[in-house]
Amino acid sequence: MLLEARALSVAYGDAPAVWDASLEVDEGEIVSVIGPNGAGKTTLINAIAGMMRWRSGTLHFAGEDMAGVAAHAVCGRGIALVPEGRRLFTRMSVEENLEIGCYVAKARAHRDVSLERVYTLFPILREKRTQLAGLLSGGQQQMVALGRALMARPRIVLLDEPSLGLAPSIVDDMFAIIRAIRDEGVAVLLVEQNVHKALEIADRAYVLEHGRTVASGDPATLMGQPHIREAYLGL
Amino acid sequence: MPSAVVIGQALVSGLLAGGLYGLLALGLSLSWGLLRLVNLGYFAITFLGAYLVYQLHESYGIAPWWAAMLVVPLFFCLGVAQHWVFLRFRVSELASLLVTFGLSVIVESGIQLVWTADYRRLETHYASASFKIGPLYVPVLDLAACLAAAALAWATWAWLRWTYVGKALRASAEDPDIAAAYGVDHKRLSYLLSGICAGYAGVAGAFIALISTLAPSQIWAWLGVVFAVVIIGRVGNPVGALVAGLLIGASESIAMAFLSPAWAPVVSFSALIVLLLWQPDWL
Repeated sequence: MLLEARALSVAYGDAPAVWDASLEVDEGEIVSVIGPNGAGKTTLINAIAGMMRWRSGTLHFAGEDMAGVAAHAVCGRGIALVPEGRRLFTRMSVEENLEIGCYVAKARAHRDVSLERVYTLFPILREKRTQLAGLLSGGQQQMVALGRALMARPRIVLLDEPSLGLAPSIVDDMFAIIRAIRDEGVAVLLVEQNVHKALEIADRAYVLEHGRTVASGDPATLMGQPHIREAYLGL
Repeated sequence: MPSAVVIGQALVSGLLAGGLYGLLALGLSLSWGLLRLVNLGYFAITFLGAYLVYQLHESYGIAPWWAAMLVVPLFFCLGVAQHWVFLRFRVSELASLLVTFGLSVIVESGIQLVWTADYRRLETHYASASFKIGPLYVPVLDLAACLAAAALAWATWAWLRWTYVGKALRASAEDPDIAAAYGVDHKRLSYLLSGICAGYAGVAGAFIALISTLAPSQIWAWLGVVFAVVIIGRVGNPVGALVAGLLIGASESIAMAFLSPAWAPVVSFSALIVLLLWQPDWL
C-alpha cells in the first residue's frame, strides 16, 4: 500500500476537524473522498501533505511512518499537494511557480524534463510562462497548480477541490488530465465537491462525514447505497 | 533662482546621497518584505558598524575597506543570532518593530558609553578627494558608496530572481505553508537572509564612517527618510529601494538648493504621503 492512514484525528486548537479517518491509496489508482462541507476533507488532505499535525492515529507512506517527518520534508518523500483555491505564488511568474515545484534536490535534477512534460500537458502555460501567475484565468491557474505538483515528480498527488470555480468544459479537461496522470503510474487522492465527477473518475472512494470515514468501496457500490444516493447524488 | 551649475551640483550631490539611502534601505526592505520583520535595529547596528570601522582605523590603522571585511562577516553572525532570538520568541511583524526599537536604544546607549556623545570623524587623506566633470564636483567616496549600493542592489535582485534560494524566499514570503509543502525550509532560509541583511548594515556602516561624522544620536537621523525610501521602493524590492533612494536624495537636494536645508525632510515625506494616497499599481 502506498498511502495508509489509520484512525487519524486532526484538530484546530481544541476543535477537532477530523477524528477517526482511515483510508488507503495504492499505486496507480485514483481514490476520491466525498462528503459534505465541513466534514474535514481539506483538513485530512492537509494533514497528509504535512501542513497540519495529527493528534492520534498513524500515517504511513511507502511503508514509512510519517509521524516525525517535518513539513518541508514531506514533498521529498513523493507527496505533492494541489491545495484548495490553488494558492499559487501570485507575484511570481508561471515558470517560477513550476520551479518551486521542483525545489527539492531530487526533483531539481530533472527540472528540464519535468518542465517539458508540464508544457506538453498544458501548452497554454508555455505561452504564458513569463506572466505573473496571479494574472491568469482560473482554469490556467489550476493548470499551474497541477503542473507545480507534477514538477515534484511525486508518487502521489493530493488534489483538493480541483474543479472549484471552473467552467464545466475546463473541469472535463482537468479530469481527463487527472486520468492521464494516473495512467502514468502516479496515485491520486482526490477531494471533490462535485460528487458525480469524483465517483465517475475514481477507482475507489471514501465517504467522510463529521470527520470520520463512514463508508468506502468501489464507486458503483457506493452509488448503489440509498444513503449516498440521497445525500450526495440527489436521486 | 539658483544658477544651472548650482542645480547641477545639487543633483549630483543628491543622487550620491541617495545611493547611501538606497544602501541603508536595502537590508530593511528585504527583512520587511521577505521575513515580515521590521528591523529598526538595522540603523543602530549600521552605526555600530561605522564606529567599529572608525575604531579599527584609529587604534590599529586598519584601512576602512579591510575593516569592513572583518565587520561584515561579524554582522552576518549577529544577524543570524538576532533571528534565532526572534524565532525563539515567535516575534510578530508588529512586535518586531517594538523589540528592535528597544534594541536600538540599547545599542545607542552602548555606543554612547564606549565612544561618548562627542562627534567622531574618520580622518583620511582621501576623505575629501573629488574629481571634476565639467563644472561639477564629484566626491569620490560618495560615488563609491553609490556604486556599492547599485552593485549590491543589483546582485540581490539577481539572486532573488534567478536562484532557487531566491525564488524559495519569495514564495515563502507569499505563502509559507505551500512553499513548505514543496520542500522549502523557510527557517533555514530566514537565518541566511537575516545574516545577509545585517551584513548589508555592515557595508552601509563602513561607508557612513567614511562619509559622515559619527555621533550616537545620528542613528535616528536616517530613520525617517530611509523608511520612506523602503516604502516608496516597494517593500522587499532591492532595486526599487535603490531607485527610490536616488529619487529622494535628488529631490531633497534640489529642494535645499531652491528653498533651504530645513525643507529637505518635507520632500521625502510629502512624496511618501502622495504615493500612499495615490497608490499606483507598482507600489
